[in-house]
Amino acid sequence: MSRFFASGYSDSDLSSSDEELLSTSEEELINSSADEQEAEQDNDESSDSVFATEEESDDSSDDDYGARARGPSYFLKSSFAKNNYSDEDSESEGEGKKVVKSSKDKLLDEMRSLVDKIEIRRDVKEWIGLLAEFDKLNKLLTKARQQNLGIPRLYISMIAELDSTISEIGNEEIKALKADSSRAFNTTKQRTRRFVKEHAAAIEQYRANPETFEKELDEQSEENTPKPSKALIDELITSLRTIQETRGKKNVDRDEQIATLEELVQDAKGNDFHSILVYLMLIPLRFESSSLVQSMPIDQWTKAKNEIIALLKILEKVRNEYVVTELATATDELGQEPEADKNGVKHILGSVTALVERLDDELTKSLQSTDPHATEYVDRLKDQSTVYQLLLANQLYLESIIEPAAYSQKEGEQLARVVLKRLENLYYKPTKLIIISEKVGWSKLTNKQSLIYPKFEESDDELEYCNGLINHLSSLLYKQTNSIFRKKAMLCQIYYYSFNDQYYKARDMFLMSHLQSTIHTSDIPLQVLFNRALVQLGLCAFRAGLLTESQQILQEICTSQKQKELLGQGSNQRQQPASQIDKQRLVPFHMHINLELLDCVYLTASLLLEIPQIIQQSSGRKVSNKLQATKSFRRTLDYYNRQVFIGPPESTKDYIMRAASSLQAGKWEQAINFISSINIWSLFNNATGIKEMLYEKFQTEGLRSYIFANIFFYEKLSVKQLASLFKLPEAKVLAVVSKMIYNDEISASLDQFNQSIDLSKDYEFSKLHELALSLADRCQQLAERNERLASGGHQSQSSNVKDQKKIYSK
Amino acid sequence: MAQLTPAEIEVAKKFDLTSKIIPFLDRHLIYPLIENLDLTYDEKTIKELSYNLLRDTYMNKFINDLNPDKEISQDVLTKQKEIEAKSEVLEAETKETLNLLSKKEVQEQLKSDKNHNRRYLESQHGITEDKIHALYEYGQIQYNKGDYVMASDLLANFRILSTNNELNVSSTWGRLACEILLLEWNNALEELSKLRELIDSRTSFNDPLLQLYNRTWVIHWSLFPYFKTANGLETLCDLFFSSSYLSTIQASCPWVLRYLVVAVISNNSKKLKDLVRVTAQESYQYADPFTNLIKALYLDFDFAQASQHLNDCEVILKTDFFLNNEDENLPLISKKFITNAKKLIIQVYVKCYGRISLEALSETLNLTKQELKDLIASLDLKNATLDDEKLIINHTSTKIYQQVSDKVKSLGYKSNQLLENFAK
Repeated sequence: MSRFFASGYSDSDLSSSDEELLSTSEEELINSSADEQEAEQDNDESSDSVFATEEESDDSSDDDYGARARGPSYFLKSSFAKNNYSDEDSESEGEGKKVVKSSKDKLLDEMRSLVDKIEIRRDVKEWIGLLAEFDKLNKLLTKARQQNLGIPRLYISMIAELDSTISEIGNEEIKALKADSSRAFNTTKQRTRRFVKEHAAAIEQYRANPETFEKELDEQSEENTPKPSKALIDELITSLRTIQETRGKKNVDRDEQIATLEELVQDAKGNDFHSILVYLMLIPLRFESSSLVQSMPIDQWTKAKNEIIALLKILEKVRNEYVVTELATATDELGQEPEADKNGVKHILGSVTALVERLDDELTKSLQSTDPHATEYVDRLKDQSTVYQLLLANQLYLESIIEPAAYSQKEGEQLARVVLKRLENLYYKPTKLIIISEKVGWSKLTNKQSLIYPKFEESDDELEYCNGLINHLSSLLYKQTNSIFRKKAMLCQIYYYSFNDQYYKARDMFLMSHLQSTIHTSDIPLQVLFNRALVQLGLCAFRAGLLTESQQILQEICTSQKQKELLGQGSNQRQQPASQIDKQRLVPFHMHINLELLDCVYLTASLLLEIPQIIQQSSGRKVSNKLQATKSFRRTLDYYNRQVFIGPPESTKDYIMRAASSLQAGKWEQAINFISSINIWSLFNNATGIKEMLYEKFQTEGLRSYIFANIFFYEKLSVKQLASLFKLPEAKVLAVVSKMIYNDEISASLDQFNQSIDLSKDYEFSKLHELALSLADRCQQLAERNERLASGGHQSQSSNVKDQKKIYSK
Repeated sequence: MAQLTPAEIEVAKKFDLTSKIIPFLDRHLIYPLIENLDLTYDEKTIKELSYNLLRDTYMNKFINDLNPDKEISQDVLTKQKEIEAKSEVLEAETKETLNLLSKKEVQEQLKSDKNHNRRYLESQHGITEDKIHALYEYGQIQYNKGDYVMASDLLANFRILSTNNELNVSSTWGRLACEILLLEWNNALEELSKLRELIDSRTSFNDPLLQLYNRTWVIHWSLFPYFKTANGLETLCDLFFSSSYLSTIQASCPWVLRYLVVAVISNNSKKLKDLVRVTAQESYQYADPFTNLIKALYLDFDFAQASQHLNDCEVILKTDFFLNNEDENLPLISKKFITNAKKLIIQVYVKCYGRISLEALSETLNLTKQELKDLIASLDLKNATLDDEKLIINHTSTKIYQQVSDKVKSLGYKSNQLLENFAK
């Protein structure tokens, strides 16, 4: 019986609560009723006991005591359960300890233990301790709400009991309390009352029949919407005003205000102006109420979303009477209708854009704080499509109230913000996904059309449509006076083009943007976006087979120690834990660029460029320093080569380094085998195409390396043999060799009669020769400098002297 | 000129640049281009094209000839009458001014200071702003009517007098067009350089896009005179390789690279390296036989491909308006290009090969052995021995001692001279 190993009561109760969640609701019912019994028992005990409070507050002794005291009741319960559900229970008993708890279960367990502690404190009327536990519990509750668990019913039962205990306490008793405990008592009382008020129905149900208190209550408690009492308009305005006056102040209960406003929404039905006003106050308040927690609870978020949808609906309906815009002038008095303009349209101050933006931001925040590998993340991600719908609806609304000519004016800025959000929701997606989000986005907006870019028709070409969409959205942003819009749009566009394999377009835009010269002065999110676009461009170049370009583009970011930070995908562990702000800068997981793939691409590109050069250098020829040698690559390669024992490759890097040393040894086929057995290539759309491209590159670079390496040992090389060695057509071998000869990389000549390469020997020179040559070069430079100096050039004397010294020291 | 085979017509049509160039030219300048399409398209299409092109000009008689419907619609007639009337009015207005300007004593009074001239003319002869503007308008009408001599004259006079910068620029454009159409190449070049000065120096180009457009026009218009004058191609290379124009070509009209290739190769210009770089850079957005030739030769080292592209080039040389120069006074560009291109191929070939079979080479280059031999002889190769079967070149890199001695040889003398200069 594993039960006996459970040390304390609370622990054993925990495991039983585990079972509870795993099993049916009926069992839960039993358990909760058992809890009740225990609570009653507790009550009895405490009323009997004459112990002083201090003694009782000792937790551990209390627990032990409790465990002993409850021993029988526990057996009672389990045997009772066995009677009915013997199968299930025995099963769960066996597994009880092994079950891996989900985060939800863990949370519930914690809450349960807290509830137990609170109950104990309550029974002994130890208010200060109770309040502390209560606070902890409330924190857990918000967490639970974030995970969309609703309010656990044990919380409700606890509150109900607490409330009744509080109301039982007489005035004298309160007076007898010490100052600090009476304060704690009052706070607890207020909080309990509030909760009771909010969830009156649930509490009521619990009180009426604690035995049948069921889970469904959670949902019922959410629907706390009393029937609209026909309040007078004055009343509505007055309550709005009170809320407005207290907004942003401390010690204001936002939840209560939200509840009031929710009621007002009902009251205002039928009067559009008032509905708009209420919504414009309610939605921001909702956002504010969750500004302290890491991310907005999902239920709150969903409510806010629904309210925005409702608001947009109303606004659309009353398009010819009222318009909500950021540029309206505020009225002196709340509730007073603004003056109508010449078209009879009344402008209300407010911003739907800001609300939708905030909604999107909150979603991002929530994604940032969710574990990306859990299903919750995917569930949350689904909300993106709703946000996208809202963005679209909002864009259409703004298009209907803003003249196209004013898009670049101040008025158009709100539109630009929506469009930017929309662009930010699209740019990192492949075309197929863009089409899907477009379709979903427009699905609720039938019979409407956008002025900026029409909706997707089945007959449209997907790629063309996406290009057009991105271009049109961006071009609206380019017209903005605020440069941040332009920069962001530019980068998003570059990212999109690179991601969808349109390298030249992306590259030209990148070069024309001239962002690289000013980007370091921008704020961090923009820099992150810049880096992301840059990296995508590099990957795109690689996919297009442009290795040199790819290597150059990626170099700076790939060789950096702070790769993760640069791409906004996390922070170095060595550093201090990231602050809240740092965390918010991070890009949500679904937008991440795979770092391993990035490394793989960079290293492969460097490999193909570097290996022939390394061999060429070791063969003693002077190498033109056209390519910036990538030291990091050479260093890693050296390290690998120096190892005594080399095990089979494990990581991507291992594979690449093994490939590099194979290529160095002239075994190109082995090298390409290593490279193509890297799994991560499959992350590219066109993995086989890329492998083919790499195969060809390895053939030619292998050939070049081979010639460089063997130049001393042969007088002639047969073209035919080279061709068979590298599985290339002879013409290709000839072309590669011709290029090497023409560029003076090797000194040789081709023989058309024998189909061979004649390697000339006379360039072979010793170290002394080499030094003599470079000395001559330096002397020449020196003479030239002197001449320039004599003719009144601006070369400074000191640098000249330094040069001279350098030469002499040689 | 000889007719082309269907295959050749295919090639010509495929790489025909007319449609790309048209947006950057004036109506009148396009006409010769369309006329030149006679080798690739049938007569009817060309007539239709020219009618559509010139319908909106004022060259009434010409248009009527071209009109396929025979019936001339009423609007056309009324339009034509209106123009007649307008031009008569303007003619009367400008006559006085022109007469005045041709008087000797007036000409003597005129100085280089425009403001002074204006004051003088207004006070002494009553020539006002409006009258000067009439010159411009009349010039425009004359141009549209096809009287380019008159138009050129009027615009020149206008430019002397007017202080309006914008109109001055457009009148310069107008004169350039007139001179081109009159085939007065030297005058055209003069106008072109004036225009370039205006465009490149003008700080009032607030809009970089506008400047880009202007440069693009200059590039296209300049093709007319440069390909028709003796030293034109050299100037063309200089202009097109200047950094601002090169980036204009890259940004807005990569097809001009064709003419650049022709100019560089047929002129044996030293800019070959730059040319290779540019064509390689632009290969993703523009390719025709000419750029492909460069690419095959200098990037892929595929000699067979190169000579194939050269064959295509020959067809285009016959059909392209700017390249099929038949002026006897000038060396034929096309011929020069082909010869030079072949020489280049051989040069690269020789650099890579030590022992060359003449037979194989003549096959790849599509030449007879004798031609090939002549070409090789004209290259004047060092260390080469040529006989009936083969060409052998001794590739010897200079000895290291030689290299060092070459490098330092002049240093002593130079340093001495330096010292002497200091002593002075």
